[in-house]
Amino acid sequence: MTRYALAIDIGGTFTDAVLISDDGRGWTDKTLSTHHDLLEGFFKAADMVLDKAGIKLDQVNDVVTHATTVVTNILIERKGSPTGLITTEGFRDVLYIRDEHRYDMFDPQIEYPEPLITRDYTWGIDERIYADGSVGKEIDPDAVAKIASDLVAKNVSTIAVCFLNSYRNPDNERRFRDILHEIAPDLFITLSSDVAPQMREYLRTSTTAINAYTVPITRPYLNALIEKLQQQGVDHEPLIMLSNGGVVGARTAGTYPVRMIESGPAAGALVAGFIARKHGIENLISFDMGGTTAKACIVQGGEPLVIGDFEVDRRYRFKPGSGMPITVPSIDMIEIGAGGGSIARIDSLGLLKVGPDSAGSSPGPACYGQGGSHACVTDADVVLGILDPLNFLGGDMALDGDAAFAAVKKLADVLETSVDDAAHGIFSVVGESMAAAARAHATDRGVNYRGLPMLAFGGAGPVHACYVAERLDSTQVIYPAMASVLSAFGTLVTPARLDLARSGLCRLSDIDWQNVEPLIAEMLDEGTRALIEAGLDESAAAFEFAADMRYVGQQNEVPVPLAGDPRQAENQDDLRERFNEIYQKLYGLRLDDMDIEVVSWRVTAHGGEAQRQVNVSLANEEGKPKSRRNVYIENRHVETPVYDRSTLALGQQIDGPIIIEERETTVFILPGWSLTVRDDGSLIANRQD
Amino acid sequence: MAKLDGIELEIMWGNMISIVSEQAKALQRIAFSPIVREAGDLATGLFDVNARMVAQAVTGTPGHINSLAAAAGHLIDVIPPESLYPGDVLITNDPWLSAGHFFDITLLTPIFRGEKLIGYCGSTIHHTDIGGYGVGAGARDIHEEGLWIPVMKLYERGEPNETLHSIIRRNVRTPDSIFGDLAAQVSSGKMGGERLNAMCDRYGLDDIVDLSDEIIARSESATRDDIRKLPGGSYHGETEFDVPGGEVITLKTELIIDTERGEITIDFAGSSGPSRSGINVVTAYTHAYSTFAIRSILDPDLPNNAGSLAPIIIRAPEQCIVNAQYPSPVNARHVVGMYVPFPILKALAQVVPDKILAEGSGAVWTIQIQGRDKHGKSFTSSMFNYSGGMGARKTKAGLSATCYPTGVAAVPVEVLEASIPIAFTCKELARGTGGKGLVDGGDGQRIGFRMRTGQEWLLNAIPSRLSSQAEGMFGAGNGAAGQFLVNGESSSEAKKLVMQADDIVLMQTPGGGGYGEA
Repeated sequence: MTRYALAIDIGGTFTDAVLISDDGRGWTDKTLSTHHDLLEGFFKAADMVLDKAGIKLDQVNDVVTHATTVVTNILIERKGSPTGLITTEGFRDVLYIRDEHRYDMFDPQIEYPEPLITRDYTWGIDERIYADGSVGKEIDPDAVAKIASDLVAKNVSTIAVCFLNSYRNPDNERRFRDILHEIAPDLFITLSSDVAPQMREYLRTSTTAINAYTVPITRPYLNALIEKLQQQGVDHEPLIMLSNGGVVGARTAGTYPVRMIESGPAAGALVAGFIARKHGIENLISFDMGGTTAKACIVQGGEPLVIGDFEVDRRYRFKPGSGMPITVPSIDMIEIGAGGGSIARIDSLGLLKVGPDSAGSSPGPACYGQGGSHACVTDADVVLGILDPLNFLGGDMALDGDAAFAAVKKLADVLETSVDDAAHGIFSVVGESMAAAARAHATDRGVNYRGLPMLAFGGAGPVHACYVAERLDSTQVIYPAMASVLSAFGTLVTPARLDLARSGLCRLSDIDWQNVEPLIAEMLDEGTRALIEAGLDESAAAFEFAADMRYVGQQNEVPVPLAGDPRQAENQDDLRERFNEIYQKLYGLRLDDMDIEVVSWRVTAHGGEAQRQVNVSLANEEGKPKSRRNVYIENRHVETPVYDRSTLALGQQIDGPIIIEERETTVFILPGWSLTVRDDGSLIANRQD
Repeated sequence: MAKLDGIELEIMWGNMISIVSEQAKALQRIAFSPIVREAGDLATGLFDVNARMVAQAVTGTPGHINSLAAAAGHLIDVIPPESLYPGDVLITNDPWLSAGHFFDITLLTPIFRGEKLIGYCGSTIHHTDIGGYGVGAGARDIHEEGLWIPVMKLYERGEPNETLHSIIRRNVRTPDSIFGDLAAQVSSGKMGGERLNAMCDRYGLDDIVDLSDEIIARSESATRDDIRKLPGGSYHGETEFDVPGGEVITLKTELIIDTERGEITIDFAGSSGPSRSGINVVTAYTHAYSTFAIRSILDPDLPNNAGSLAPIIIRAPEQCIVNAQYPSPVNARHVVGMYVPFPILKALAQVVPDKILAEGSGAVWTIQIQGRDKHGKSFTSSMFNYSGGMGARKTKAGLSATCYPTGVAAVPVEVLEASIPIAFTCKELARGTGGKGLVDGGDGQRIGFRMRTGQEWLLNAIPSRLSSQAEGMFGAGNGAAGQFLVNGESSSEAKKLVMQADDIVLMQTPGGGGYGEA
């Protein structure tokens, strides 16, 4: 019997569906997201793609996977239900005080998001745990009862509990929960010691608050999904994509929605890792450029990098620091304000600047003909001849070439240069700024970016990737098949995975392994349960171990992968050597005489890689150019052949410059590069030397 | 090389800024010095062959940023280019030649392209200790404040200057941290040189002479043009605040906008004279906080480099708290330096009322604690800090518990409790302490703590604005003054306090001023 697997990715604009069978066939489709009820779009997209394959939902006997923007939407639209926060008495303003930092030194007008939970929904309770874990004051049941009645009076249905030093000893938080649960059994209670048991009260409270705020919507959403799938004959639990680039069962996911925030983008990065491994590439940089921003993610050893904290809902010009911090593991991506709609301007020094301001999709670039008059990146692409105004979105949306020309000409006049040169200027400045961001990101992670192959997707990614690759000394760019539904596909090739962390501050010179034992055991237990729930056999579970370490006296940790369960080796010298090595690689120095301390222990529980794939059907005969047009590149017009991607045959080789058009994007290959078509449908551009 | 157009220049300039920004980011991540990693109290810059600053990282506190700009020139005045070799690294912490107190150590690495010197890469960071008095304003002259490192080579042709290394090692309390941070600075300078060379390779440049000339010329003329758009004339501003020990300081400024030359001159004549405690400010630091205030009202496109700094001129009489003279103590110069923007903003209120903000709480309150733990082991905390309320903006309330003009983050309660035997009793906003107005000033906060050691301990705290309030702007109310209470009693001393085992400290940081009559 054929086995079918279904993936649905609900993004901000589109809901994408991918269906694949174990005999290598694949179907894709997309529909507009339905924000009033996201599940409506889920089942619409599912029906569309199932129809194409001629099967019903109950025939999906392999997995159903799902990436969704539901949690992010709740946060950005602030549509959660009244949420309460319980803190240690005397520390109720933790969400207002933040870390006291101004994220932009020079701008006196900066803003912060209003706290998710306001002061009138915050209660303090007289309790205390000290930094060594000792209990200074226990929970008084009468005080809990008082808070319970206040919560009822204020109609609060979900609360975040974050007590000082609970990362060290969760007893008071748990005791509080147990007493409260007796009184108010229907209340959603999120404990900080469960969701993010790590030091630093503001980060932990923010994370806990986000979870509490989003749980009352996310859990019913996922339960409804499970139920509706069951009604249509799918009995296995759907798997949900988490920010860390793993999938877990919908019930586990529903308890910790804070782990789902970067669900969709994580799936995109995951695919980059999958493709890297398929092409036998260890390391690459994925480059996803859309309408307003570009995202880059580094894949190392076939895996995208994961970080321990990130930020959501940046309120002020997308600036780092202007959002809400979250301390849960997430795929490590940078996002910069450079997309097709990024606006070009001349600044007061006469320099050509592109972005971060964007014309968005409305009015959009001048060439959209919707009243936009600013020259945008897409306008430059049209003027240069890379984009065909009559073939945008497969011809469904005609662009106004004259409007693009007029908009770019305004800048050319100020720069005292030709319209072509100004357009090329926009093309190169945006390419440079993306290359600079990628360089900074790579350097920050201790990765040598020079020569890393690049994976290009997103609407504008394939247009600009080749140029950006040259700026990074890269010699290879991969343009994958199914680029427009890549994230959905990503959820199907994602292993089940849960990343866990526990604070366990100790110096290597006087480490007590008995204290480490329960932390690791707890994480192994939690990880195993999640994998079993995701449908895995316990024996298939694999674990990786890491420790966040630093030199004593430093405040920022470096995550250090370990060879195996540290409890077995109990070898602090090995930890020391591993840290020193990684530190040397990151920062170019090692301080052998300094003592080292472990801040947290990490366990990653995962199943094996999902072995699903799609055989792409390619043309039998080598495709011919459907037309030729002049593209202005490096100060001259070059006649460039234009191909339709669907006409290319396996192994077909073409020298740049070339344009390859498909419905959702255009691939532009520079002179000096050569393109080959591979059996998985991807196009590989290699630089010729 | 042909004249650069606005496209090529943008690309190469962007490259240089990303070189220094990457360095700053790496330094901040790995610093031992808490003030560096939490507050970004560092600066990195790229200089041309004439030691003019061409690019600077957009991080850090205002105090360092513009001090470093001048420091490079001072260093090569002492050790001229002809005596520099690949592998050399210059060092100094001279307050007058770099950033105003011994804690700030500046390193400058010459960058060679082959045999040819093409520029310099510099960094200043605030180190954890420099011997002498330690944190605080209590030293009587500069020599009590710690180790003075004249301009020297820390490395010569790649080899460490062992003499200097051992002098530093013997004269600081936390040598491991100092050498950890110096090593990071050295490695960052080396990396900066490699990156600049890689950039030259990429664009086929032999040096950066034309590039830096163009950058500096454009920056200067754009800054002058922007100043010419302001109404010319002379404007006055004045601010008053109290410092530890109760001394009240006045800063007066005359702000002259010269629309013909496109220049702004700030004259501090009439301000308080030198102080006997270590709060005197060298002019480089005064300049840094003055240009910071000016910059906030100019076009945000303007960069920060030798060209854009040139049209802003600072004058201060010799007998003045913001023009420290040898041998005045300068250790806690931030206490006065962080008030420097306020009289300037008040003068600018008459020029660009929409762009400025009301007076705020001013300097962050810094604290350091020393003692012995339960087992008798001695400890010294790192310096930690808390902020009061920011002044109101025309359309936005002042931010509560957020500092201005500096941007220092607070060390989390849990991090402090894990590193020293301290227990906090509260840390909450002091609601209503921001000045009332059409738009309210930011609130201060209330922070309480005690020690869990069961024995005597030493408290070194630097509060300010315990009596002089942050003034409201355009008829708005003032922010409330701060309170510093030991066991409920007010206390304000410039020196370290000897505390008893059970003493409880309660601080309430000042509120910011409001904006506009309610």
